[in-house]
Amino acid sequence: MSEPSAWRAWFYLVGHSWQRLARARLMIWLSLGLLGLFALIVVVNHQTGRMSMARWQMPRRSGVSYQDHLDNAVKAGSLLWTDPAQSIRFAVTGAVGGAIHDASPFYIFSNGMIFSVFATILLPLWTLSFATEGLGRPREVGNLAWLLTRPLPRYSVYLATFLAALPWCLALNVGGLWVLCAAAGTAGERAFPLYWPGVLWGTLAFAALFHLMGACVRRPSLTALLYALFLESIAGNLPREFKRLSISYYMRCLMFERAEEYGIRPQNPSIYVTVSGATAAWTLACITIGTILVGMWVFSRREYRDL
Amino acid sequence: MNTHESNIAAPGLEEAPRPSVVSVAARAERTPARETPPLADEPVLVFEQVSKWYGSVIGVNQVTLEIRPGITGLVGHNGSGKSTLMRLAAGLARPELGRVLVGGLDAWSWEAKRNVGFCPDLDVFYEEMSGRGFIQTMARLCGYTRAAAHRRAEDALLLVGMAQRARLPLAGYSKGMRQRVKLAQALVHEPALLLLDEPLSGIDPVGRREMIAIFHELARRGTCLLISSHELDALERLTDRVAIMAAGRVAAVGALTQIRDLLADHPRSIRLACDQDNLLARRLLEMDEVVGLERTPGGQGFLISVRGRDFFQKLNRVVLDENLEMRHMETLDESTEDILDYLLGGRPSN
Repeated sequence: MSEPSAWRAWFYLVGHSWQRLARARLMIWLSLGLLGLFALIVVVNHQTGRMSMARWQMPRRSGVSYQDHLDNAVKAGSLLWTDPAQSIRFAVTGAVGGAIHDASPFYIFSNGMIFSVFATILLPLWTLSFATEGLGRPREVGNLAWLLTRPLPRYSVYLATFLAALPWCLALNVGGLWVLCAAAGTAGERAFPLYWPGVLWGTLAFAALFHLMGACVRRPSLTALLYALFLESIAGNLPREFKRLSISYYMRCLMFERAEEYGIRPQNPSIYVTVSGATAAWTLACITIGTILVGMWVFSRREYRDL
Repeated sequence: MNTHESNIAAPGLEEAPRPSVVSVAARAERTPARETPPLADEPVLVFEQVSKWYGSVIGVNQVTLEIRPGITGLVGHNGSGKSTLMRLAAGLARPELGRVLVGGLDAWSWEAKRNVGFCPDLDVFYEEMSGRGFIQTMARLCGYTRAAAHRRAEDALLLVGMAQRARLPLAGYSKGMRQRVKLAQALVHEPALLLLDEPLSGIDPVGRREMIAIFHELARRGTCLLISSHELDALERLTDRVAIMAAGRVAAVGALTQIRDLLADHPRSIRLACDQDNLLARRLLEMDEVVGLERTPGGQGFLISVRGRDFFQKLNRVVLDENLEMRHMETLDESTEDILDYLLGGRPSN
């Protein structure tokens, strides 16, 4: 008869917790449904040419579109000009305008989808769906007692359930980013290599925080939702150093730095002062590790009276 | 395999193959946290001046208690602190004052849990799992290999009489079946201490007899069982060793008869009838121990209240001296319920 091993039990617990999350089919289907919906929106916009500056009008809604403006510039350039300098000026204007037009899908995809929707809503939502469930669900249902009465250190139970939730969070966030980028065509091909490191670090930090909520608060999903959609947004929009309280701020800083050469930057750089990518990555790493350690400490001391 | 273990079987399971549960001694050898198996008279579970509060409400109050191998009943009304005591022993709660030790280890520590099997009162499982899958999972979470976990799960299921019925999802199980599965998961790592919170609730009389037989068998093998129950009749059939809890304190510990002796000053009621009731009544009233006497409503015999330990010896002497023919003698408040009611101040038990 083999000796029982705490390590063996721990590795089994990681797999067991991962399987428990896989049982949450409704949550998985909802997440995939959300991904499918936004991927469809991206595809439709991409295919109909809306993901570029071509339809932008100046003045808005009534003026000439950017595509027409470029076409006019090309036509004007082809006219017989007596002044060669004027001809060159028109040619350069057309070329620059064309270059801007060609780069615009990436800009629009980044601002309209990645920063506005993915980083603000989808990433926190997908992360909290699984990260809070690792401990929050067993607490709510009441079957956490089965884990807490096993011969395993409590901190290791916390760590195991976190690690079990992590593949789900990463798969949805990094995988979801890839799907959205794939749906966006060439703009997405450019976007994915630039943004995935930020998404990865952001996922880790959010997952660690939401897992801690799962261990500490009574309704972790709701609390995490309120935090992600309100507190993060509020903190992210606060002036000066206050925005540094927000996880998504550091994630965005990482993404901004990587995409800076393509003209992606905060809408108001004088207010939204970014930190360097290295600082942001280190900060997110410290938040992740620190939150995990705090969670392990809290969980190893905490009693759950309702079990 | 130890020979006496091949005799383990719950009543009604005679046709089933015998479980290959390893011996207590072998189990102790396998358990790193317990290098030497505890001696029979060594306490397995110790509460030392333990107090536990829930906010301003006190759960247990300065409880000092030692639980030794064998079966110990834990009796008390709702809110008396039974469940808190169980949770403290299972390492699900920590005392504010004092300490709880299992095999010499702090009950909160994970090492102590190797020696503890907890059968909680909660009725929540991984509902989509089969009973067998659940027990195997619990065994794997104790650190056993897949093969060892399967073997242990089969042994535990056989012991609780669920081996033939454990392939269905837990969601469809009756209360009795769920109780058995809970017991099996507590047994699967063969702990030295079994904490059973209301293990007989929801089980039919036949199943109850089987469970009681299992508890006796486990106790015979040296396992320490602490069983809480409201059902005092069932507990009386299990053990005469009880800890009675009231208002967070241990009101009394020991054999029921010992407790009764300790309560010698508490008047006991006895119904008597003989061929010469008047003569007997006169002689009884001469005794210091008899503090009250009244005729029974039907006119046959009478009801007396007695105090002290020597009453029955004196009664014997009177019966012999007067050559009385006793027709009826019944002690009316010897049951656990009555002792409990007396200790708890006459409140009705649940």
